[in-house]
Amino acid sequence: MHIVIIGATSGIAQAAVRQWASEGNSLTLFGRNASELERIAADARVRGASGVYVHAGDITSISYIEIAVAQLEKIDQALVAHGSLTKSQRVETDARYFADEININLVSAAVWTQLIANAMAKRGGGSVAVISSVAGDRGRYANHAYGAAKAGLTAFCDGLRAQMLDRKVHVVTVKPGPIDTPMTAHVAKKGALSGTSEQCARDIIKGLDKRRDVVYSPWFWWGIMRIVRAIPERIAKRLKW
Amino acid sequence: MTPLSLDQPWGRGFTVEHTHEFASDDTLPEQSFLPRGLGRSYGDVCVNDGGVLLHNFRRDRLISFDEVNGVLRCEAGASLADIAQVMLPRGWFPSVVPGTRYVTVGGAIANDIHGKNHHLAGTFGKSVLSMKVRRSDLGVQEVDENHVLRSATIAGLGLTGLIDEATFLLNRVPGPGIGQETKLFGGAGDIDDYLALDTASASWTYTVGWIDTLDRGLRGVFFRGEHCEGSDEWLTPQPAKFAMPIDAPRWALGRWSAKAFNELYFRAQSMNTAKRETIPLWQFFFPLDAVTAWNRAYGKRGFVQYQFVVPREASRETVPKILSHLRESNVASYLAVIKSFGDVASPGLMSFPMPGVTVALDVPAPNDRDRRALDRADAMVADVGGRVYPAKDARMSNVMFKRFFPQWEQLEAARDPLISSSFWRRVTAAG
Repeated sequence: MHIVIIGATSGIAQAAVRQWASEGNSLTLFGRNASELERIAADARVRGASGVYVHAGDITSISYIEIAVAQLEKIDQALVAHGSLTKSQRVETDARYFADEININLVSAAVWTQLIANAMAKRGGGSVAVISSVAGDRGRYANHAYGAAKAGLTAFCDGLRAQMLDRKVHVVTVKPGPIDTPMTAHVAKKGALSGTSEQCARDIIKGLDKRRDVVYSPWFWWGIMRIVRAIPERIAKRLKW
Repeated sequence: MTPLSLDQPWGRGFTVEHTHEFASDDTLPEQSFLPRGLGRSYGDVCVNDGGVLLHNFRRDRLISFDEVNGVLRCEAGASLADIAQVMLPRGWFPSVVPGTRYVTVGGAIANDIHGKNHHLAGTFGKSVLSMKVRRSDLGVQEVDENHVLRSATIAGLGLTGLIDEATFLLNRVPGPGIGQETKLFGGAGDIDDYLALDTASASWTYTVGWIDTLDRGLRGVFFRGEHCEGSDEWLTPQPAKFAMPIDAPRWALGRWSAKAFNELYFRAQSMNTAKRETIPLWQFFFPLDAVTAWNRAYGKRGFVQYQFVVPREASRETVPKILSHLRESNVASYLAVIKSFGDVASPGLMSFPMPGVTVALDVPAPNDRDRRALDRADAMVADVGGRVYPAKDARMSNVMFKRFFPQWEQLEAARDPLISSSFWRRVTAAG
């Protein structure tokens, strides 16, 4: 199988790359940091990937995305994993930062997904997983800007999944809860509700293989977000969470 | 595989203050720091009270593998658990593994670890071809076989610089199984029986004994093993089925429970004796990894592990002498490990193994009387030219350390001026 990964240097993507590599798949990695990508690629090769291709560049620029997807030859599965954790406070005063963040988390991610889905449809089908977030399920005090971009991305993926249904392309929306950084993951879980990159990567791979529509990771965030969305706005607006 | 706290060593028992940082690809901390892997060292070689603990386990990428010669290059944060799992399906396995697979390559080098095949293979450092070492004063050094830093870095307790990458040899293995034979020994209060079994098993790749130090007769169980083929299901270890959910209470840790435990273990093993069986290699090498946080079995107050080696000529007399001394001093210990080291020279300046016999025993929450008994055991070890293992120590005196390792000043001279550990400050203190 050939799998394309966008934002391959992210923790979740790296964990997924390792698993795909050990199963002997071939991979194409996109990211910004060339030397980091090379190290990830070397690791994947030693772990058993049948071929690893690396492209470093500005993965949030629309023209880059167009050229990159046009040059892909084979693509069975894909993971769109790049993103940036927007600082809400900075958004208040820095409009350009805000626009850039929306571009990274929503516009560029949606464009990658659309173009990859088109390419897959042309070749007879495929599956693409997109990392959104539980933050997109409801706007909250602490991350309104990030949540807005992810809400947009979630809606986009839902629509695209419907559009692509007859063209044999499947879209998986991945909604991770908080992910422990490895330092804390290694000692003890920070909170009982957080997951690890490895766990999330396993959920993504399973979601792609089984063609799930929406994957919460860890799975119980599905229940938590049901409750969070059920809270009436007149109460929710008073919660500084 | 999770230790309970980053501010404690694996033996627990005490907690220190640290600032925690992840090692980055280019910079080093600008104050006192200590590189750390997975923190499985029992004592204070893996803590740095009041300084930075520089975590390197996340830098765990494999870089290249030569399938013909079995040469692996990787970042030093890669664990032997990960490497073994990736390489076993291709017929390769680390040439030396300790009793846990949760050890990084950097940690394996820094403590120059040994395993059940020491009599043939020597230490882990022996398999190391080269290392990339980063220092606060000299920058990045490619440490090959002729570099002055090589012998100081192997068994250098992490003090000679951050080990960034390492290149080392793996062993070809026929499959994921171990053909194991079990035999009982002892009963006469000496180790002659053990030594005879060990000599008779010299051609076996792996040999080790469990010895009941609370038994006057020094009974024990001898294991020998050889790599062999095995079911494909054995290629990956069984995930840990059980995690120690709580700290064991104090009453469960005394001499009588140790006696009862040893009795049960010995009886269980007597049923296997002289049987040849094939088991997954994970079970043979890493029985304790099956229980997450097994160190909690020793309770909140933790335990110390006491591992000494005495030279071969002195071992027949000295090992029983030390063990009866500890028994008579009422030092509780669960089944201890006995192993004969071979003649393969250790590559490190401060390597622990020497040709002779080593014994490792766990002492739960030692009190002052236990500590005095261990101090006397130190003296008995030093008197015959043996030594105590720094990787497991949390208690030996500075005077004893300097008797065990008179070459310590050479490591001090090669030490990165910004790197230190609680252990190093303790044992090199004047006096």
